Amino acid sequence: MHTLETHPFATLFGIDESVVAQALSEAMSRGAEFADLYFQHVRTTSLSLEDGIISRASTGVDQGVGIRAVIGDQVGYAFSESLEADAIYVAARTAAAIAEGTKNVPPQHLQGRDVDNYYAIDRGWDEVNITERLPLVQSAETMTRAMDPSIEKVSVGWMDRDERVLIVTSDGVFSTDRRPMATLYCSVTANKNGVRQSNGASVSRREGIDYFTEENIREVCHKAVDRTMILFEAQRPPAGEMPVVLAAGASGILLHEAIGHGLEADFNRKGTSIYATMMNEKVAPDFVTIVDDGLQENDRGALNIDDEGQATSCTTLIENGVLKSYLHDRISAKHYGVSPTGSGRRESFRHVPMPRMRSTYMLDGPHSRDEIIRAVDYGIIADTFTNGQVQIGAGDFTFYIKNGWLIEGGEITAPIKDVNIIGNGPEALKNVVMAAGDAVLDDGSWTCGKNGQGVPVSMGVPTMLVEKSMTVGGVN
Amino acid sequence: MERELLQQAEQAVEQARRAGANNAIARVRDENSTEYTYRDGNIEQVQQSATRGLSIQLYVNGRYSTHQTSDLRAASVARFIEDAVALTQHLAEDPHRIIPDSALYANRPDTDLQSDDALVRDLPREACIEWLKKMDAVTHTDDRVVSATADVYYGWNTSARVSSNGFSGIQNGTSIGYGASVTLKEGEHGRPEDHRYVRAHHLSDLPDPETVAREGLDRAISRLGSEKAPSGRATMVVDPEAGGRLIGAIWGALQAHSIQQNRSFLADKKDAQIASSLLTVTDDPLMVRGLASRHYDGEGISAKRRCVVDQGVLQMYYVDTYYGRKLGWEPTTGTSSNLVFAPGDKDLNGLIAEIKDGFHVTSWLGGNADTTTGDFSYGFRGFRIANGRKMGAVSEMNIAGNFLDLLQNLVAVGNDPNVYSSLQSPTLVFDNVAFSGK
Repeated sequence: MHTLETHPFATLFGIDESVVAQALSEAMSRGAEFADLYFQHVRTTSLSLEDGIISRASTGVDQGVGIRAVIGDQVGYAFSESLEADAIYVAARTAAAIAEGTKNVPPQHLQGRDVDNYYAIDRGWDEVNITERLPLVQSAETMTRAMDPSIEKVSVGWMDRDERVLIVTSDGVFSTDRRPMATLYCSVTANKNGVRQSNGASVSRREGIDYFTEENIREVCHKAVDRTMILFEAQRPPAGEMPVVLAAGASGILLHEAIGHGLEADFNRKGTSIYATMMNEKVAPDFVTIVDDGLQENDRGALNIDDEGQATSCTTLIENGVLKSYLHDRISAKHYGVSPTGSGRRESFRHVPMPRMRSTYMLDGPHSRDEIIRAVDYGIIADTFTNGQVQIGAGDFTFYIKNGWLIEGGEITAPIKDVNIIGNGPEALKNVVMAAGDAVLDDGSWTCGKNGQGVPVSMGVPTMLVEKSMTVGGVN
Repeated sequence: MERELLQQAEQAVEQARRAGANNAIARVRDENSTEYTYRDGNIEQVQQSATRGLSIQLYVNGRYSTHQTSDLRAASVARFIEDAVALTQHLAEDPHRIIPDSALYANRPDTDLQSDDALVRDLPREACIEWLKKMDAVTHTDDRVVSATADVYYGWNTSARVSSNGFSGIQNGTSIGYGASVTLKEGEHGRPEDHRYVRAHHLSDLPDPETVAREGLDRAISRLGSEKAPSGRATMVVDPEAGGRLIGAIWGALQAHSIQQNRSFLADKKDAQIASSLLTVTDDPLMVRGLASRHYDGEGISAKRRCVVDQGVLQMYYVDTYYGRKLGWEPTTGTSSNLVFAPGDKDLNGLIAEIKDGFHVTSWLGGNADTTTGDFSYGFRGFRIANGRKMGAVSEMNIAGNFLDLLQNLVAVGNDPNVYSSLQSPTLVFDNVAFSGK
C-alpha cells in the first residue's frame, strides 16, 4: 500500500489528495452512490512510409480526467482536459447532476492498490528517441521489397503509445497503470501481367522497442507478402450454406462476434442480448471452453487493471459447453450480485466505461487439424480476416474473410478471397462439431468498437469446424 | 470565442516558425456536446463534453510531420511545438511535401451555409427530457418490447485554421440528433431489434421525436419472423439509408491516395463509363444546411461544386496537394462533401412496385470491399420482394460481386435522398446481384 502523495502520477497530473477528495465529494454531492475519477495521459508517435520514404510523422499528447457519478444503473458523466482544480470541480458537479438530491460526503483517506504487471518492459515509449524508430520502419520496407519482384508498392505504418492512468474511486481506493502498445503494419500491392492485388498484415502488442527484432519484423512482412501473392490465384467461393473450418488464430473473430459481445453484461442486464436467458444452459458441445482473459503477458488485450480500477482476470464464459459467466463492469456486477470480472473498459477519459472484451479465445479441443479437414466433403477454411459485426438481440453476426481455401473431398484445394460470412451466434455454437489441439492467439492490431468507443483486443481459436449453418457470401 | 481560437492558431504558427519550421498550418477546434440516454422510463445516462485541441502541420527543410495536443497551457504548447520541430528534422526529405499553393485559397465563397442554429445552442434540458419521455412512451406501446432506448444528442463546434502562407479561416456549426432503438421478444431467446435516428444542423429540419420513435418501433416489429431466403441472382433495392455505405466504399477508390498507391479499381477510368447512365453525382460543399457543407476543405482549398459522375461517366478524382504532386495532377479537393444524386421519378415504394423478384436491403451487417480490385461482399438485413410487393423480413444473407459490374447494373435511381446524411443516397436499384442465403 502506498499513498497518493508519494506516487509519481500525482506529480504527472499535478494533483494531490485534497483535490481528488474534493472532486469525489462534488461528484456525489447530489446523492450519487458511487463516483470515480479517471485521470489519463497518453503520448503517441506514428510514422508512415510510402514510396521508400517516411512521408509523415505524427505525435500526440492527450490528457484529462473523466468523472462519473452513479446512482443505481444511472450514470452522469463529464470530463475536463484541463487538470486545474477548479476545472475538475466543475466537471464533477456536472456529472453529479444525474442525481437530484443533496448529500454531504466527507473526504476519505485514499489507499493505493498494488497489482501485478503483465506488460513490464525495459524502457517506456516515452524514453525512446525518434531516431531509434526510423530504422525499424525502413527495414520493414527493405525486407518486404526484396521478397517478390512483382511488388510495386509497399507502405509501412508504425504507432506506439505510452499511456498512464490513475483511477480513484469513492470507496477510497486508487490504482494506477502504465500501458505500452506498439503496432507495426505492412501493406503490399503487387502487379502481375497488369492485374493488381493488395493485402497487408500487422502485429500489435503491449511491448517495448526490444520486441521489434529483425525476425519479428520479417514475420509481419512475410505475412503481408504471402497474403497478397495468393490473391492472384484466388477465386470467389460459391454462395450459400456450407461447412466452415476456422484456421487456428485470428478465426477467434467468430468467438468475439458470435459469443463475446452477446455476453457483455450490460446487454443482458437490459434484456437485449440473445444470451440474456441462457445462463447455465448447455450451448455448445462438451469440448468447448471459451475464456476472456486479461492476463496474457504483453498481449494486445492484456490489462493490469480495468478502467474502473478493478484487477483484471481470466473469465470463463463457456465451460465444457455450458454458459458460465457474463463480462461485468461495476454496475452490472452490482446488478447481478457477482464479483466484477475486470472488464470495465473505455476508449479514453472522454468516455464512460462499460463491459468489454480483452483476449477472447477457445481452449484446445480433442481432434487434430488433419481429422477436421478430412471430415469436410465440400466447404471452406477461413484463414485471414479484416472485420466483423454482430446484432446483439438477433444474435446474427458476420466476419469478413480476406484469405481462405476451398475444401473438396477432405482436401484443401483452391485459394479464395473476399467473402463475408453471416451466421447466428447460438446456432453456430451448437454446430461446432470439432476442435483441434493447436489453439493460438492472434497478435494483429484488432480494435473492438462498441457504442462509438474503440478498445484494443485480441482473439484466438484452435482449428475448428462449424457444420453447415453459416452462409458464405460467395458468387454462384 | 472565434477571435480567441484564431489567435491561438496564429500564435502556434508563429512559434513553429520561430522554432525553425519553414511553413506551418495550425488548427484549433472547440467542441461542446451533451447526450441524454433514456431507457424504459428512466434517464440512464447524461454525458457532457467540452473539448479543445490544437493540431499543427510542420514543413521543415523539406520534411513533414503533424502533431496534436489537448494540453493547451501556454508553456506546454510552446514546448510541444519546439519538440515537434526538432523531431521533424530527423525525418527524410520528401520533395512532394509542400504547403498547399496559396492561389487555391482565393475566391473563397462566403454564402450563408446555415450550419448554425441558435436554438440548438440554447436547448434547455427540460426540452430534451420531454422528447425522451415522448419517444420512450411511443416505443413502449407494444407489449413485445423488451427494452427501448431513446437518445438526444446536441452540440456545436468552432474551428480556426491558420497557415504561414496566408490562410486564415473560421468554420462553425451546430448539430442535433435523436432517435430510438427498440428490442422485441420473439420465441424463447430471440431479441429482434432495430432503430431510427436522425440528425441535422437545425432543429427545424428534423421530424418530430414521436414520429422518429414510431419508425424505430415499426422497424423492429417488421423484423419479427425474419428468415434466410435461398441463394440466387435477383434485383437489389438499396434503401436510401443503406446507400451511403456502398457509395462511401466506391468513393474511396476516387482518392488520389488510392490511385497513387495503385490501390484503386477506378484508376485510369476518368472519362470512362463506370456506371449506367442513370448515375449522376455532384459533390456540393455549398448546399444550404448540408451536413458536410463548408467554405474551404481540410487544406484550405476554396470550396466549389463539382460533378463527380455525369450520366455514368467519371469526371474527377479527389486530389490533395501531396498526392497531386506525386501524380503530377492539379489538386481538386482531398475530401468529399455532400454527395447529391440526380433523382429519378419514383420513391422507394414506387420502385419496389416494379420489381418481380428481389430484395430490399435496409441495412448492412459487416462485410467489406477491396479498393484495388472492386470485389465486395456484405451481409444485410431487409425484405423479400415478389411481384411488386414487399414480403417477409430476411436475415443472415450476403451479397457479393465487383463494383464495376454492380455500377453498370444500376437500373433505377429514386427521388428520395437520405437528407440525414452527407452521402445523400436515394433508393438505388441494381439488377442481377448475387445473393447468398440457404
